[in-house]
Amino acid sequence: MEYTHQSLWIIPFIPLPVPMLIGAGLLFFPTATKNLRRRWAFLSILLLGIVMLFSVALSIDQINNNKSFIYQYVWSWTINNDLSLEFGYLIDSLTLIMLILITTVGILVLIYSDNYMSHDQGYLRFFAYMSFFNASMLGLVTSSNLIQIYIFWELVGMCSYLLIGFWFTRPIAANACQKAFVTNRVGDFGLLLGILGLYWITGSLEFRDLFQIFNNLIFNNYLNVFFVSLCALLLFCGSVAKSAQFPLHVWLPDAMEGPTPISALIHAATMVAAGIFLVARLLPLFIAIPTIMNGIAFIGIITLFFGATLAIAQKDIKRNLAYSTMSQLGYMMLALGMGSSRAALFHLITHAYSKALLFLGSGSIIHSMETIVGYSPEKSQNMVLMGGLTKHTPITKTAFLIGTLSLCGIPPFACFWSKDLILNDSWLYSPIFSILAYFTAGLTAFYMFRIYLLVFEGYFNVHFQNINGKKKNSLYSISLWGKERKQNVKKKIYLIDLLTLINNDQKFLFFNKRAYFHRINQNVKSITRLLIDTTHFDTKNPSPFYPHESTNTMLFSMFILVLFTLLVGVIGISFSQEGTNLDILSKLLIPSIDLLHQNFPNSFDWFEFLTNATFSVSLSFFGIFIASFIYKPVYSALQNLNLKNIFEKNVRKTKILEKIINAIYDWSSNRGYLDAFFGSFFITNVRKLAKINHFIDRQVIDAIPNGIGILSFFMGEAIKYIGGGRISSYIYILLSFLFILLVICSLFLFFY
Amino acid sequence: MNYFPWLTIVVLLPIAGGSLIFLFPHRGNKVIKWYTICICLIDLLITAYAFCYHFQLDDPLIQLTENYKWINFFDFYWRFGIDGLSIGPILLTGFITTIATLAAQPVTRESRLFHFLMLAMYSGQIGPFSCQDILLFFIMWELELIPVYILLSMWGGKKRLYSATKFILYTAGSSIFLLMGILGIGLYSSNEPTLNFETLTNQSYPGVLEIIFYMGFLFTFAVKLPIIPLHTWLPDTHGEAHYSTCMLLAGILLKMGAYGLVRINMELLPHAHSIFSPWLMLLGSIQIIYAASTSLGQRNLKKRIAYSSVSHMGFIIIGIGSISDTGLNGAILQIISHGFIGAALFFLAGTGYDRLRLLYLDQMGGMAIPMPKIFTVFSILSMASLALPGMSGFVAELMIFFGILTSQKYLLMTKILIILLNTIGMILTPIYSLSMLRQMFYGYKLFNTPNSYFFDSGPRELFISISILIPVIGIGIYPDFIFSFSVDKVEAILSNFF
Repeated sequence: MEYTHQSLWIIPFIPLPVPMLIGAGLLFFPTATKNLRRRWAFLSILLLGIVMLFSVALSIDQINNNKSFIYQYVWSWTINNDLSLEFGYLIDSLTLIMLILITTVGILVLIYSDNYMSHDQGYLRFFAYMSFFNASMLGLVTSSNLIQIYIFWELVGMCSYLLIGFWFTRPIAANACQKAFVTNRVGDFGLLLGILGLYWITGSLEFRDLFQIFNNLIFNNYLNVFFVSLCALLLFCGSVAKSAQFPLHVWLPDAMEGPTPISALIHAATMVAAGIFLVARLLPLFIAIPTIMNGIAFIGIITLFFGATLAIAQKDIKRNLAYSTMSQLGYMMLALGMGSSRAALFHLITHAYSKALLFLGSGSIIHSMETIVGYSPEKSQNMVLMGGLTKHTPITKTAFLIGTLSLCGIPPFACFWSKDLILNDSWLYSPIFSILAYFTAGLTAFYMFRIYLLVFEGYFNVHFQNINGKKKNSLYSISLWGKERKQNVKKKIYLIDLLTLINNDQKFLFFNKRAYFHRINQNVKSITRLLIDTTHFDTKNPSPFYPHESTNTMLFSMFILVLFTLLVGVIGISFSQEGTNLDILSKLLIPSIDLLHQNFPNSFDWFEFLTNATFSVSLSFFGIFIASFIYKPVYSALQNLNLKNIFEKNVRKTKILEKIINAIYDWSSNRGYLDAFFGSFFITNVRKLAKINHFIDRQVIDAIPNGIGILSFFMGEAIKYIGGGRISSYIYILLSFLFILLVICSLFLFFY
Repeated sequence: MNYFPWLTIVVLLPIAGGSLIFLFPHRGNKVIKWYTICICLIDLLITAYAFCYHFQLDDPLIQLTENYKWINFFDFYWRFGIDGLSIGPILLTGFITTIATLAAQPVTRESRLFHFLMLAMYSGQIGPFSCQDILLFFIMWELELIPVYILLSMWGGKKRLYSATKFILYTAGSSIFLLMGILGIGLYSSNEPTLNFETLTNQSYPGVLEIIFYMGFLFTFAVKLPIIPLHTWLPDTHGEAHYSTCMLLAGILLKMGAYGLVRINMELLPHAHSIFSPWLMLLGSIQIIYAASTSLGQRNLKKRIAYSSVSHMGFIIIGIGSISDTGLNGAILQIISHGFIGAALFFLAGTGYDRLRLLYLDQMGGMAIPMPKIFTVFSILSMASLALPGMSGFVAELMIFFGILTSQKYLLMTKILIILLNTIGMILTPIYSLSMLRQMFYGYKLFNTPNSYFFDSGPRELFISISILIPVIGIGIYPDFIFSFSVDKVEAILSNFF
């Protein structure tokens, strides 16, 4: 093992050859590279598999030998005397957990996306980006100092930018990727300031030295508390943006414009967990400042509640899952803020697997829907159009159900164990927070089952949309989704699109396809037009009117994730033997810090556990029950008869209830009005500033050289006029001045 | 020591070779083009050879010196020599000018004159970086203005005469102050004028006089660098010039201002510099934010890139103003790094313009599908411009941040303020560069013109882009290469301050 420890710096570099080779290949030998297609996918999976073996071996070593960490200095970046930026790697239990998580989810997502992206033009680009992301994420978790973290932090941000904007012909995706990058840059701004501040305080960037010096300084009271808290807060800003915590979460739902495997890997399992990772990494530092810990918990509780309320009424399946991710990340942040990093990491693991499963499931659904309703995300991901998919995609349904149950916190599945741990700890921390967290657990169950029921229960809705609703807004005929925007159909554009479609110019085929579908999704909302694109794209498909189960490759990775979701809870379950905790996670996290359980380290109480668990599980079941009450009977007789009859007894009550429901839906579908606020506040102000500056540049500063130019022009003209070269005028001036001089002289002579 | 006049050859070869162009027979442009590129390459190779084998990196003194008495009457020498400060910019000049000549291949109008001017620029740019005589510095400084003026006014866009006049008004106007300062410094000391940099370094002046000299020099370099509010010539010039000229302007000409600030203001007038440096820092931070937010409001693609250059120059000013080892090294690195990035961005904008004939961002869109290679390179360079780690810009900015932090001159509150302002600029940078990228390439567009069939970049353009990308990424991963030039010299300069 010693030899491997020496060469562990190679971990982040292992997946790197793939993007480099593909990039170079696409630039120089495009056709040859494209012909190799699937071999690149194999290569990237293989390389990531090597990393996985590495990390599994390392963690077994760690569990057996109880080593706390491995640290190795690799090379110095600069030769400057004042500043040494040393690169190295630090591998401890936290890193190992993240390594295993990244590699396992990464491999499964790569396998999945081989099939998911197989018909895409950018297949190779996709794999290049993915491998680059994997490389930088591995670099992020193995880095040993803050600058290294910052470097990889930005790199994963860039990968996320590229992957969100993967389908760059979609204007929504173009906006979304820019939004994601800029929002993350706001976080990075804080992160960089925090790093610089900490460097100023301690003079070191390497984690161990940093913590040691910092704690010494705190112990001796050398520090200005305000400044230190400010630095810690700024550092926390970075994780707020990356982990989509409350004020800076706006990019995450928009990030769902990327391909679905990306959402599974980057925006659910790994990259958004980087913020949690950073806080966990810096926990020894944060823990010295109680206000910051409270702040972290506070942000966490806001996020988890806010995310859950926003997830209630989303139309788009992926956005809904994104808000759910945000809410779950809030749980982790809450756990970190309470000081129980073990619970946070446990939830990080379980949530990563469950959410990846859910996203892959939704990808499978989207894939099967796309052939029927068209390729625009507004339709293929629209849950209004789904329904009754149980019949058509049974395996996906099972997988999705397991993911849903896990996320709801139903006992045998993974998320139950971790979420219960967090809820337990929150009770010890603060009752108010705890009530909110419990309530959100119920909400989680509600919105997750809402998704499940809308997608898989009832009847396939695409065929009902014209029957059910008004003709004009057929997509939104089902009234449960609040109000919708009405868009004017621009007939002219539509006609152009149709014409180009008919012409079907080979040269611009890809080009037109995108354009066409985008326009379609904005303007066209009637079933006849839907039929056009169905016929256009589904010539091969024998029965284009019902979705199909995905292929085996996709199902395989979902199956493995199902196994993970079922089994991963085991690592955190305590087996009380002779008064000691023996769960794997605790063994892995020996040096972890635990604020809440300091007093009673070895008293795991099954009775207490059971009571708490029953409480949370019953809350979840309550949520599920309400969800099934509202959402199941969209078409069934239940809604028409029972539900209305119950409420008809009291009309006023119904109205109030409707108002409340409408308010919640408005709140949710407008994304809590936060996006609009940011849009109107920041963006317009920045634009105004740009305009003012432009005006100053053009009108004020430029006025000086322009003025000089004009002035010199006029002077020249004047001189030209005076010195016109006419001798008569010269003589005239000469004589007139001579005359004046004579007059003055004669006057002088006369007086004196 | 060998006494082979390397630097004289390096400086004089391009202009001498260039004047031979007029003797060529009228046989089309191809010969002239390749002849020019050959001259550029030979010069670059000579430079590289001389620096490789006759320059000791660990020696902070001036090397490869040449001293020829030119005008006996007032001790005017043809005096050349390089040190760690100038070696980077000279190599950058050689590289960028060669690349720009290659990029200028599509120019067919008045090919002889154009290529002669490119070669004259070559000499005029290497001159100021390599001379060791302050009057010679002025002469070289002026020498390079004329080719730029002609290049602008003949091969520019629609408003080329306006911008050329503006350019010459600003730069020639500011050169008066340079001349006054040089004469003042040169004639100050004793009965006979001293124009040698080395002897001038040890000279000290009375406080007020030094400040007056400093302000004179600062004004000149502030126009060239540019520092707000003297920057408005730059967007106009860059917006109108042909892209090969833009590459030279953005890549090298701006850096001459920064070089002059270090070489003359810091080295010769250290006391005044330590008085002025807080204001420089403040000005630099304001410039970063001001130019970045102005860049957002630009519709013209080239002007947007030009404002981004202005914004990046702010970092150089801050690095120079920080008076710390790290900060000054960072500023020198930023000089090199922006030389590459700025030049490459203008090149790509120009190639895009060659195809689309559109300059306004809101008319573009959907270019990614017809030209994926340009899209790729442009994305990478936008990332480099917004200081993504792994690229050279990030290292430079990080070093400058650390320079402010480790600077012993300032109080904590000042440092916090400056760093805060800079990092706000860091948020604004991605907004303008990514929205530029989005408006140009993302989305879709059915071009109305039926004949618009776009070629992706050919081998020549790809070669140019790649050969600029390699140093950008290389420096980003291994910045020691540049630091190894400048580290000793920077220490020597800073030893005057403490």
